Amino acid sequence: MTQLKFLSQAPRFLFFTGKGGVGKTSIACATAVHLAEAGQQVLLVSTDPASNVGQVFGISIGNQITAIPRIAGLAALEIDPQAAAQAYRDRIVGPVRGVLPDAVVKGIEEQLSGACTTEIAAFDEFTALLIDSAMTAGYGHIVFDTAPTGHTIRLLQLPGAWSGFLEEGKGDASCLGPLAGLEKQRGQYKAAVAALADPKRSRLILVARAQLSTLREVARTHEELDAIGLSRQYLVINGILPQAEAAQDPLATAICQREQLALATMPAVLEALPCDLIELKPFNVLGLEALRQLLTTTTATPHTEAITPAIQTPNLSTLVDDIAINGHGLVMLMGKGGVGKTTLAAAVAVDLAQRGLPVLLTTSDPAAHLGETLVGVLDNLTVSRIDPHTETERYRQHVLETKGAKLDTQGRALLEEDLRSPCTEEIAVFQAFSRIIREAGKKFVVMDTAPTGHTLLLLDATGAYHREVARQMASGIHYLTPMMQLQDSKQTKVLLVTLAETTPVLEAANLQADLRRAGIEPWAWVINNSVAAATVHSPLLRQRAANELREINAVAHQHAKRYAVVPLLQDEPVGVGKLLEMTRPPLRKP
Amino acid sequence: MPHIQIYDPALCCSTGVCGVEVDQELVGFSADADWAKQNGAYLERFNLAQQPMAFAENPVVKAFLERSGAEALPLVLVDGEVALAGRYPSRTELTRWSGIASAEEKPQSGCCGGNNSCR
Repeated sequence: MTQLKFLSQAPRFLFFTGKGGVGKTSIACATAVHLAEAGQQVLLVSTDPASNVGQVFGISIGNQITAIPRIAGLAALEIDPQAAAQAYRDRIVGPVRGVLPDAVVKGIEEQLSGACTTEIAAFDEFTALLIDSAMTAGYGHIVFDTAPTGHTIRLLQLPGAWSGFLEEGKGDASCLGPLAGLEKQRGQYKAAVAALADPKRSRLILVARAQLSTLREVARTHEELDAIGLSRQYLVINGILPQAEAAQDPLATAICQREQLALATMPAVLEALPCDLIELKPFNVLGLEALRQLLTTTTATPHTEAITPAIQTPNLSTLVDDIAINGHGLVMLMGKGGVGKTTLAAAVAVDLAQRGLPVLLTTSDPAAHLGETLVGVLDNLTVSRIDPHTETERYRQHVLETKGAKLDTQGRALLEEDLRSPCTEEIAVFQAFSRIIREAGKKFVVMDTAPTGHTLLLLDATGAYHREVARQMASGIHYLTPMMQLQDSKQTKVLLVTLAETTPVLEAANLQADLRRAGIEPWAWVINNSVAAATVHSPLLRQRAANELREINAVAHQHAKRYAVVPLLQDEPVGVGKLLEMTRPPLRKP
Repeated sequence: MPHIQIYDPALCCSTGVCGVEVDQELVGFSADADWAKQNGAYLERFNLAQQPMAFAENPVVKAFLERSGAEALPLVLVDGEVALAGRYPSRTELTRWSGIASAEEKPQSGCCGGNNSCR
């Protein structure tokens, strides 16, 4: 265990960051246990909305420091960022509810429902833990299972942003956004950011899986943090399938090869970081014993003759049957990064086109690889592309050159910072998006990207649609607003894509709630890369298949109106034949 | 010194770039407001999304919201009385209301000096 680089000479603060489902919480818990058992006083802090720290230790924790039984020196605390954001909204909106008109209050609440607000509210909560205080003085280590994003840190660093608001409590022209409602003093945020940027006090550990897309995303996170001075990071690649598992199991062999390839072609910026590899374990990471073993190398699990046959679940093609009935319409695949939206969108498009229906596939795949392989393959399938980075960059440049042209240095700096907010990309992509969805009246438009409910509500509220509509009317074309089109389930079908793992399912459920707020009802859920839907020999994969059942059950019975499961495939689904295998899996012989 | 109060609509940020389109008037006005303050004007801005209490506590602003709704903002008060609604003031107007020396007046920012005529 001691050979793990990220644990060596650990500073006081340890942050684990990475996207949902990579195992941040498990590794953070195991790290906290390791440090406590080495004789340190340790506080473990979870700000994951799907926090299962309590579950891991078999106790209930919640929003106060709770001692973990049976481990001397370890205590834990769960901060729910949604609850923090709600508390923040209540602080601002509560006093005027019933005083100002209801419509006005509702508008304010929607403004404060964005990702930025949640981010900032969560950072507000754990600022107290980063500064010297009586509450944390006794802890030698504080381990966080999440880290603030680059955007949050930049907002807090921005010197101009602070003048006025926090010192005078008055509004100013500066573009502070959600910071205005924060409670703490400027000095505290400054101290917290300083602690974060000091490698003697803080270590940021990027957690990833051995997948090309995940590693690319982690490389972007690294560069973003590097750009604001948080350069000393560590990399942990979790859940690698041990080579020994490959024996006798073609699926396991394919996964091993894929993972080794991903590691061999890792982005250059990541290669320079100290890196640890953690193997996939045959057990669920629950309970003390499992946590102790997580950071050790596995002893090979003996192979037996046993196999786990694929479970019987609806396949994607049964959903496509229903989609095909109308002859045209918009199909949007939504979900967090890395769940396979692009591939599934291509699979749905190919399945529809194969039936002789006219289809436009629009992908935001940064590599554009998948789309390219389909160009000209089927007569009635066309492919276009929205590149979020290009769209966002174009939008930023446009705003800076036009609206920002006459600003002074400070005004320009503030405008630039605002343009780096997560909202900007959504808006930029939305503009490209609304151009394309008009096609859906004549044919099928299948997209792997869509605006969130929050974006739609904001855009609808600002009246931008109506101006757009008026322009269309003037030119005599019958037109619906994008919002109206998305709300109509006859015209638009939203497919929520997830993986059969706890955090991704919870994230998809949150996305569903967000869409419902905007009056959009997701039509179906698709569970991608399911091991349970494949037939497996490998003991590790059989364990994973068993773990998936609970999540698949939750999707089928709690979350989804209808659903489909796509099995984990041996090969990357490139080309028409392989894509069709995703929607109509062949019966695999055990 | 007359007291200028500007009540902004609910904005995620006051330059408005988080909204669907960047309002040139808003970006330009932010700069004008800064300029006026640096030249000694007594000027305050309130964002509905951030300081709704400021709207609720002022009877003039509250009544305006009840009658016309948030979409009629911004609202500008000078010494507590309505001076302007539905658009942001120009640099000239700020100068006149605040009584600061207009000798320093610079070319106005915004595509048309904030008087909205070219929109």
